[in-house]
Amino acid sequence: MERGSLQVRHERLAQLINTVAPVSLARDRVLRVVPALESLFPDAGLTRGSTIGCHGVAAMSIALAVVAGASADGSWLAVVGLPALGLRAASEVGIALERLVMVAEVPDLNETAWANMTAALIDGFDLVAIRSGPHIRAGTARRLQARLQARGAVLIVVGDPGRFSCDLDIGVQHAVWEGLGDGAGRLARRRLTLSVSGRRLGRPRQTAVWLPGADGAIEAVVAMEVTAAASPPASPPPVLTPPVLTPPVLTPPVLTPPVLVIALQQAV
Amino acid sequence: MTHSHSMPRLAVVWCPDWSVVAAGVSPLEPAAVLHANRVMARTPAAATAGVRQGHRRREAQRICPSLRIIDHDPARDGREFETAVRSVAQMVPRLETTEPGSLTFLTRGPSRYFGGEPAMAVRVLQLVREAVPDVHVGIGIGDGRFTAGIAARQSAAQRSPTPTIVDAGGIATRAYLAPLPVSTLLEVAGVSGELVDLLHRLGLHCLGDLAVLPGPDVLARFGPVGAFAHRIAAGGDDRPAGAMAPPPELFVTQAFDDPVHMLDPLVFAAKHLAQQLHALLAVDGRVCTRLAVVAETEHGERSEHLWYRPNGLSVAAIIERVRWQLDGWIQQPGGLSGGVVLMRLTPDQVCSDNGSQLGFWGGRSEADEWAARAVARVAGLIGEQQVFVPAWRGGRQPADAYAWVSLDTADVTEPTERLAVTDVPWPGQLPAPSPATVLADALPAEVLDGAGHVVRVNGRGALSAAPEVVSVQGRAPEVITAWAGPWPIDERWWDAQQHRRMARFQFTTISGTALLAVVEQQQWWVTAVYS
Repeated sequence: MERGSLQVRHERLAQLINTVAPVSLARDRVLRVVPALESLFPDAGLTRGSTIGCHGVAAMSIALAVVAGASADGSWLAVVGLPALGLRAASEVGIALERLVMVAEVPDLNETAWANMTAALIDGFDLVAIRSGPHIRAGTARRLQARLQARGAVLIVVGDPGRFSCDLDIGVQHAVWEGLGDGAGRLARRRLTLSVSGRRLGRPRQTAVWLPGADGAIEAVVAMEVTAAASPPASPPPVLTPPVLTPPVLTPPVLTPPVLVIALQQAV
Repeated sequence: MTHSHSMPRLAVVWCPDWSVVAAGVSPLEPAAVLHANRVMARTPAAATAGVRQGHRRREAQRICPSLRIIDHDPARDGREFETAVRSVAQMVPRLETTEPGSLTFLTRGPSRYFGGEPAMAVRVLQLVREAVPDVHVGIGIGDGRFTAGIAARQSAAQRSPTPTIVDAGGIATRAYLAPLPVSTLLEVAGVSGELVDLLHRLGLHCLGDLAVLPGPDVLARFGPVGAFAHRIAAGGDDRPAGAMAPPPELFVTQAFDDPVHMLDPLVFAAKHLAQQLHALLAVDGRVCTRLAVVAETEHGERSEHLWYRPNGLSVAAIIERVRWQLDGWIQQPGGLSGGVVLMRLTPDQVCSDNGSQLGFWGGRSEADEWAARAVARVAGLIGEQQVFVPAWRGGRQPADAYAWVSLDTADVTEPTERLAVTDVPWPGQLPAPSPATVLADALPAEVLDGAGHVVRVNGRGALSAAPEVVSVQGRAPEVITAWAGPWPIDERWWDAQQHRRMARFQFTTISGTALLAVVEQQQWWVTAVYS
């Protein structure tokens, strides 16, 4: 074998290494998101160093879906103070549970200790999901976000972002469950209309997704379904139990504030 | 198959629990060095109390409450080991280190000089003990790295170690290895634990059992890893596959016009050299498994050392080893008489690079390493009882399927065991999608029918009326838009104390929320929210 051909192969190998190298080397790149959410993000993925806020009735599901792609690709996810996170739902949406760590919020933890702990997590994890609160001051939030940019991690704020300034806010415009009837069927899937606003987006974007979809994962709503959404679909969703043939739209488009969910989150 | 006559005769010096010796702890004090929350080395006093390698911090502290915990510092281990290396280097050329605490060298020259292997081995033990006073050290001599390594461990296991010498020749080596357990493959040669476990389950408990199997069959059944294990179990060649000597002109060197007295500039120069060397070898798809690091001062003082790593030395691993070697050399008592003027890295053995360091497929990646460090840091800040990882439990209720277990009982980096899900679907479990919010403590609720009465479920699963309104924890009632249920659960009916009978329901309310509720003894609870 001559030297030249080896050289060529070496170059090809070097290119290949660039694409498959471990995630922590790719500082300048974005972390992957699942295809259904790509259209929401300016870089078609999670930009390292950015903060993403998730609000509304489906805040937890959205937060899980946003990080699912990166988690499956090998990134670690740290969750602070969200002990009610449903692990089965997380695994269904595509989170790698072997790379998930939860830190409980100690009740008497002061703000400095909380900030130190979160900073330590930002240093080591690609994805950090937190719940902000009134006790987090603007200075603390700013310092953490500066650290985030230096380390290239992504912060997900579930619920009210408080003093954190989000690069991207993902909220829920409509949420409609399918599959549940009047004493029959079961929750099969939920159609969410997400609205996204952010500094780098010219104007708010919207997209419709099934979250959770029939198997718990997130699915894009295909164009045919969008047009058919106003009237009942011709065929029922794939995994409905046999007796259920109720029309999918059970509630009118919801615009009321999600009082119950916020109340529950505070109670947890 | 007889490879044995071509096997080099090697001596291995083995210091068990080197990390505690390097930390300067007296052997009489119970102390342990921890890495990733696991004991990796402990003093004889701690060993007597029952602390073993692999114990978790809590477990070790429970067994021995007065245990002193020392953080793992590879740089300290390497630096301190240089004292022992220098001492032995007075009489033995070309010493090779795999990790701090273990030295390997060819016996041929030194044993002639000292009048035979036993005399040489006793002399080497003496030199190490003089250099490092409190050390417990053993020495083993045998054909090949594997045999000599086992002999050294046996020697070190004695109360007052004497050399363990395995006679030369394939027959003697095979006879020595045959009765040993297959777990030595994991401990000494780094063969994967999975393979060792499998061999045990197949009834192959001793190296001899494995060695008598026909080689081609072992290769067909267990692949290259199994073939390697089979080869070394029979006392065969233990070099990594495809190992070869590189061309003699292949080395990288740097001369310093101004003698360098400090460690950091030397390490910085070593980084460039390591990158150069790596690039040179990578062109041919090779990686260095044994590397000679040489440094010389202006007055001719010289530090030469061989470093061995069976999976290949990455750039980072080379830099780390140069630091260990030079740190101990520069800081030796009396110091150097002049600055360093030359540094050279020469690969002594290379093999084909199969990318084993990058951890693409199931291996540990850099991200894993970072996360493990961050977790250790956070556990130090708020206590390891407050840091949790998921573990599979199995159960009908969402809160039962997976549980959070705290770090004092689980390992972040060893998820296989805790997340092992049995394949069968759990009967009675609600199918996907699962609720994203699972309440650890269920919230009391009131579910009312159209007339304002609490909805009751009888023993046969019949409802008193259709539910119309739900109010959680005394908050404003919400209208139920759709519902389904009851799905009964009758758990632990065999146990009077823990017997539970309940019925599950799903509700969607007018605000778009979906709830999972149970009714037990006519009391309604919300257990999860599909948020």
